[in-house]
Amino acid sequence: MIRLERVEKYYGSHRVLRGIDLRIERGEFLAIMGSSGSGKSTLLNLIGGMDRPEKGNVFVDGDNIAAYSDDQLTLYRRKRVGFIFQFFNLLPNITVFENIALPLLLRDSTDTSRVKMFIERMGLRGKDDAYPYQLSGGEQQRVAIARAFVHDPDIILADEPTGSLDSETGMMIMDTIRQVVRETKKTVILVTHEPYIAEYAERIARIKDGVILP
Amino acid sequence: MTFPRLLKMLVIRNIREDKFFAVLSVIGIALGTGLFTGVKVASDRAISSFESEIHGISPVATYEIYDSAGTDFDERVYPTIRRISPDSLPVIRTFGFLPAWKDAIDIHGIYSLKAARFLRRGMTGAGTGRGALFSALDWESFYRTENGVFVPKELCDRYLLKKGDTMEAFVYDRAVTLTISDMLPAGTLPGTTVLMDIGNFQDAFRKTGLLTRIDLAVDEGTAGEIRAILPPHLAIAKKEELIENRKGLVTSFRYNLQFVSLIAILVGVFLLYNTVFMTVVKRRTEIGILRALGMERKTVIFLFTAQGLLLGLVGSLIGIAFGQLAAYFSVIAVEKTVSTLYSTIAISDYLLSGRDVLMSLALGTCISLIASLVPAYEASTIRPHETSREGSFEGRYRPYERALACAGIASIVIGISLAYLDYRYAPFSFPLLAYIGILFMIGGFTLVSPFTLVLMLKLLKRPAERFFRSSATLSAGDLRGNAYRFSVALMSVATSSALIFSLLIVIFSLRGSLQSWIDRNITADIYIKPASCKANYCFAPMSEDIVRAVESIPEVEAVDRFRGLHLDLFGKKVVAGFFDTGVKRTFLQRRHRDREYETVLREMENGEPVVGISEFLAIRHGLKKNETIEIQSPAGPVPFRIIDISSSYSTTSGYLAFHRRWLKTLWGLDDTTQMSAYVKAGADVGDVIAGLKARLLPSYALEIMNNRELRGKILDIFNKSFAITYAIELISIAVSLTGVISTLLSLVIERKREIGILRYLGTDWGQIRRTFVLSAGCIGITGIMLGTVLGLLMSLILIHVVNTISFGWEIQFRIPFLFLAVLSGLVFLTTVLAGSLPATIAKKIDPKRFISFE
Repeated sequence: MIRLERVEKYYGSHRVLRGIDLRIERGEFLAIMGSSGSGKSTLLNLIGGMDRPEKGNVFVDGDNIAAYSDDQLTLYRRKRVGFIFQFFNLLPNITVFENIALPLLLRDSTDTSRVKMFIERMGLRGKDDAYPYQLSGGEQQRVAIARAFVHDPDIILADEPTGSLDSETGMMIMDTIRQVVRETKKTVILVTHEPYIAEYAERIARIKDGVILP
Repeated sequence: MTFPRLLKMLVIRNIREDKFFAVLSVIGIALGTGLFTGVKVASDRAISSFESEIHGISPVATYEIYDSAGTDFDERVYPTIRRISPDSLPVIRTFGFLPAWKDAIDIHGIYSLKAARFLRRGMTGAGTGRGALFSALDWESFYRTENGVFVPKELCDRYLLKKGDTMEAFVYDRAVTLTISDMLPAGTLPGTTVLMDIGNFQDAFRKTGLLTRIDLAVDEGTAGEIRAILPPHLAIAKKEELIENRKGLVTSFRYNLQFVSLIAILVGVFLLYNTVFMTVVKRRTEIGILRALGMERKTVIFLFTAQGLLLGLVGSLIGIAFGQLAAYFSVIAVEKTVSTLYSTIAISDYLLSGRDVLMSLALGTCISLIASLVPAYEASTIRPHETSREGSFEGRYRPYERALACAGIASIVIGISLAYLDYRYAPFSFPLLAYIGILFMIGGFTLVSPFTLVLMLKLLKRPAERFFRSSATLSAGDLRGNAYRFSVALMSVATSSALIFSLLIVIFSLRGSLQSWIDRNITADIYIKPASCKANYCFAPMSEDIVRAVESIPEVEAVDRFRGLHLDLFGKKVVAGFFDTGVKRTFLQRRHRDREYETVLREMENGEPVVGISEFLAIRHGLKKNETIEIQSPAGPVPFRIIDISSSYSTTSGYLAFHRRWLKTLWGLDDTTQMSAYVKAGADVGDVIAGLKARLLPSYALEIMNNRELRGKILDIFNKSFAITYAIELISIAVSLTGVISTLLSLVIERKREIGILRYLGTDWGQIRRTFVLSAGCIGITGIMLGTVLGLLMSLILIHVVNTISFGWEIQFRIPFLFLAVLSGLVFLTTVLAGSLPATIAKKIDPKRFISFE
């Protein structure tokens, strides 16, 4: 379970988040909608352990990650979080297989069975040795999804995962994410502008000017 | 006006943004061009010094008369010459050594009134100032003062001397005090030329009745007329021919140094290439967009060439300042080496001339053009769609890796073949083909390097992943994905490693061979020579009193009197040494067992005209044992049979070894220019030397050394001769490491987003640091590996082709394995450390800035 309590975040003198209170249950699929500059990125950074709030707490399964040291946050991200980005953010110089295996490698795991499984599952068979620039946008995003799930994290943070894709491919990607989430029972926090993408979530939270709307 | 705007937008802005890389490139070019300029200036000044020495104070002279044995000659020949050519100037000259400043001076004894008249003739150009100076000087003091001299203002300024001051100098075998009668205005004569009245000179230095040369301002016809009446031991030669002959002596030395500094420039070229290439990679999106908008390819080429030229120009300007500094130190080193191996020279001018500055600028600009043209061309071939797909730009070179490797191997084979052609046929007087061959090899290794890197990755990836896990995978990915650009950094390491390894092998081999030569030749207990003589061979005779004093010491068992002469052989000056082969043979076995040499010495004693020659002469003139060479002597040409061919590291102009009897029989001389003594068994050498010093040094300026000291001095001179080489090595290492740092730093800057991704995925800083260090380590290992192979090939060429053609030195090839292993380790460690710096900078990157959720 993720629980944010009176979270405030400043960039200089600008208050980006203004006392956010939010609760996300384990296995819940939450969509966050909001306009540009509303504080969505900052909220995801705090939940993903990329940043700390100036005020308030971020509890993940009872632990306040806002009080974690840098090293603890690194371990938290490595073990418990999977990221899916709008622009895929694959490493261009390593192969599809290595990109997917990266979170496992970072944990010093040599078991590649899950990598193979996700390659199959994402319809990437035969693309193992390809480099990202040799793939289509949809294929690259499927690689990114596989990378997000391969190390079996508790939380998946997805940033506009369909933002760089055409609507047909975007729907296919969302179907894939929903299917995998259902099977793996992960907590998913999805950020999107598109109402039809938000519809994939179980719950929608709206954020405006750093405040979650009731 | 579009081009300047684009230049400002894409190039100037880029230089401003990447100041660090711009500065690195500028430093690389500055070091390379500066070093090259410094070395060139030093060797140019050595040649100018030869020219000044040969022209002396008389720029109008066209011919000179000299003794072909290199000795001073009887002045009674002069009246006859004067009758044929009134435009003649008798000169006696020698080098003096100023112990207080450890500097040499060129002392000219001139017939002053005659000189004034001689110089006023044809007063144009260089001579104009010289004529005027003769009316303004303090002639009274010059004639009246004992040892009165005119000293150039440059020398006075350098040592804070003024009119009336005195300076102590070692001249021939004595210490004398010279009094400054007046200062010669700056620029009128070379800065180390000191003038003395000929009568005073002859009197002060016990050279009464002797001349060193007679300068003549005559045409060819008159020269022929004079030639006909000259006694056989005197020769008349065109000044220009003598200068050319002297130039030939330092040509090899000059080309070798310039070649080594050229390799340092090459490393700088890699650095600049890397910077421009990095800009191309970084700006590929803009280039793609501009190309899509219709920008012509040639405009893209101009833009990025302009960046290289701009950096090169700034680098050259700084290189001029560095070149001046390098010139100062190079002049000192060149003066020392040339004085030891060829003949004494005194170089006072080390300032860069306008021509040197222009040359430095032109060099920097040319190499910048070369370094930037290739990446500029690559920029022009960027296709718009490549800009949206990361990795595609680098990826497009992958299909050509094998083709490039094949071209590289072909280039290496061509390089080896060219060197072999030089080895077999040596079509030029200096090893031009071998040098070109080495450049081909470096080019070949550069082309092979991406393939080698990929091959190394295949070999190292698995074992590295076992130890370093994800860091190894990431590092391998980075290296594989950017093999083409990493090859540039790799070649910086490889070239500088090759340079270090090859020169180290050459130095080690030469030192080993030199040690064998020392063992064979330095066998006496005590060595004595005039303190004024700083060269290996001296040509001015010592006082006979010194010889008698040494012979009279009861502890001295035998004395070997050595006489050095300059002889003409096949139209070139060579050094001839006359020594007592019997003494040498008798005492040889005390320190060194060499039966073959003993046989040679015994054969020399037999009375047959036999000679030992240096390998230089054997190689240059295709001479073999038992062949006969004709030696010109005052008694006419005499055939000598060659009975020994051996290495001679004491001179590079060729050496002839004679039994001393021929000195008297053929040249009518029985004097000594340097000597060695063997003490009786049980006698203490130190005590004998102390006794000799107490007895001789109050009256004479001599250098008296024991065996160990002389051996040490020879090795010291050897080490100092390589001082420039060591400096070049250090600079090339610095430049190559800068190349590694710049490549890795460029990765950090370019990969901010990727580092951000890794941080999001939970990569800790230790893993990121390991990734960079592993990349640097892999570049280091591959670079050292390629450098070792290239270095070995280069050293083989340097030893067996360049050395043989340039110096006539046969050197035994020896590899200092331990040294090379330690050096490789050091280069590897420094490369790895170079990888830590970008890792530290990577830590400052805020991942959130580059991975936006919006």
